[in-house]
Amino acid sequence: MAEGKKRPKILMAKPGQEGHWTGLVVVSKALRDAGYEIVYGGNMTPQGIAAAAVQEDADAVGLSILSANYLQLVPEVVAELRKVGKGDVKVLLGGIILRQDFDKLKQMGVSGIFPSGTPLPEIVHSVREKVGSPV
Amino acid sequence: MEHSSANRPTGQIFSSSGIPVKDVYVPADTAHIDYSKDIGLPGKPPYTRGVYPTMYRGQAWTIRRLSGFNTPEESNKLFREEFALGQTGFSVAPDMSSNIGMDSDDPRVIADVGHSGVPLCSIEDMQTLFDGLPIEKASTYLAEKHGVLTAMYFAMAEQRGLDVSKLRGTTANCMLAWTVLNLANQIPPEAYRRYAVDFVEWCADRAPNWYPASFNSYNARDCGLNAWEELGILFSCPVDYIEEERRRGRVPLDRFVRRFAFNMAAHNDLFEEVAKLRAARRMWTKIIRDRYGIKDPRCSEFRVHLQSSGSTHTTQEPYNNLIRIAYQVLAGVLGGAQSIHANGYDEGVCLPTDQSMLLSIRTEQILALETGVTNTIDPLGGSWYVEKLTTELEERGWRYLKKIEDMGGLAKAIASGWVHNEYKNASIRRAEKITSGELPIVGVNKFRLEEEPYEVPVFRPDPKAPQAQIDRLKQLKATRDNAKVAQALKKLEEVTRRGENVMPATVEAVRAYATLGEIINVQLTVHGEWPFPIYG
Repeated sequence: MAEGKKRPKILMAKPGQEGHWTGLVVVSKALRDAGYEIVYGGNMTPQGIAAAAVQEDADAVGLSILSANYLQLVPEVVAELRKVGKGDVKVLLGGIILRQDFDKLKQMGVSGIFPSGTPLPEIVHSVREKVGSPV
Repeated sequence: MEHSSANRPTGQIFSSSGIPVKDVYVPADTAHIDYSKDIGLPGKPPYTRGVYPTMYRGQAWTIRRLSGFNTPEESNKLFREEFALGQTGFSVAPDMSSNIGMDSDDPRVIADVGHSGVPLCSIEDMQTLFDGLPIEKASTYLAEKHGVLTAMYFAMAEQRGLDVSKLRGTTANCMLAWTVLNLANQIPPEAYRRYAVDFVEWCADRAPNWYPASFNSYNARDCGLNAWEELGILFSCPVDYIEEERRRGRVPLDRFVRRFAFNMAAHNDLFEEVAKLRAARRMWTKIIRDRYGIKDPRCSEFRVHLQSSGSTHTTQEPYNNLIRIAYQVLAGVLGGAQSIHANGYDEGVCLPTDQSMLLSIRTEQILALETGVTNTIDPLGGSWYVEKLTTELEERGWRYLKKIEDMGGLAKAIASGWVHNEYKNASIRRAEKITSGELPIVGVNKFRLEEEPYEVPVFRPDPKAPQAQIDRLKQLKATRDNAKVAQALKKLEEVTRRGENVMPATVEAVRAYATLGEIINVQLTVHGEWPFPIYG
């Protein structure tokens, strides 16, 4: 977290065009309630996510994917973030994510994975560990 | 007979939708219900007990599953298998790119081609999808936006020498279901309604055996609305279409509404879901007969397709969903649905595998043939509890409908952002109830295991599929008569701007091999893009 910043800022986004949006809204609300500054991006392209992460000076990016294309989209987002000098941003991923892919996703640079059904307090707890606690 | 519920040790119990439930129901609870006026016999208005006089004794419900994936070829294979298994209708789920209305070769949707459905870019894809399938013998459901893909389907049928006026099937064509999703490239709700109503008018004339709209509250329910909100918002959609047609006055209302179909969610609270379907039938009769004065009783038959509710299916311990789905399908059968889609138990994990697809069909067949639940019609009719719940849901449903109408109708309520705010708040409330344990989900917030006890076979879309689709589309664009396409699209735009019914020009365009993306672009040029009203 940058110095002088009071609250970590998390950009919440859905890469790709898939329409399920309530999970992203629900988790955004839980993190906001936990004291984080939330930028809700909704559906965005990987490039759009990277650009918004720069513009907002985000500390973390929370992605939600319920379509089976996360192995394609996540590395794109990570690559775009690196391209714009935001490789240090924590990437968090929720949605329908298969456990057999967790290791692969972690190698791709995802720091937290929250498959659908993860209790909200567990998500908040994990985000505190990974992104830092809001002051 | 008296019964007091004053000393409940456990406190008030509520239905899934928050209706207070007493510990026992007695005749006094239904004393205000007039049997002949409010309930009556199946096949007779207000159809509370069912739309047909014989119901499942005459014909079982249609087993129908929404399917499609990867490419039209692969989906065609799936349809052939389903047909061989005894499935009596085809349900087409277009993929994400077709839902959005972008062609498979559009760089914005490359990652989504073949996901969550089958890509359908042109009449050529429609030919491939139904190759070798006797569409004249089955009925087809197209889960599409507002008629462009159906225009391709009809044009494909005509090429086979079939008479469109004899084809049976349904087009979703539902502003309510469509706008729930956060999709790019969408026209505003009122423009959506314009195309939807055009399509209904056109079918009234050209395809009288086709259901031109299937009003669908499934997505809304899955966003967290409860059973009576589902009823209210469901009916707000046909009412909005009817009001639009009244303003236009192109088609007599009894023909306009003749073949409206409905699509609802089958949720967890079994008796409430049964009551919901009974209430829905009564409400539709009252809307058609009493509000609009339409006398043809066929118009007030509420024919409904049900789908087990995806939001109740869990990623954890996926086999538990088989049990949930079976109960939800049972609710649909006890409630008198005409057609049912049992989800795959792996709904919360992936698109269905061959095995989960087989199990969904078997779930319905076992219920139909082995359990005896179809032996008599509306077996729960006359239950003091179910009759009381039916009435209660109806009353609350009317109030929710009125709220939406007071905002100027559904299109305006969606455009204002109110509807999505309802979804958002409902989703958040549901999540809070799951966190607090107020909404128990076995294996998730009740009796959750430390480690997931097993893994299920997983379906993964073929990563090579999109390229095959893209290549074929490129080839089509290179070989068709592009001048003819441009001319057809120009004509479509002119017709659209003049406010005429767009369907004849749409059919002409698809016959000329115009693509879905090209036709949607005409709509976006005329109406502009609608920003999704959720900002976090």
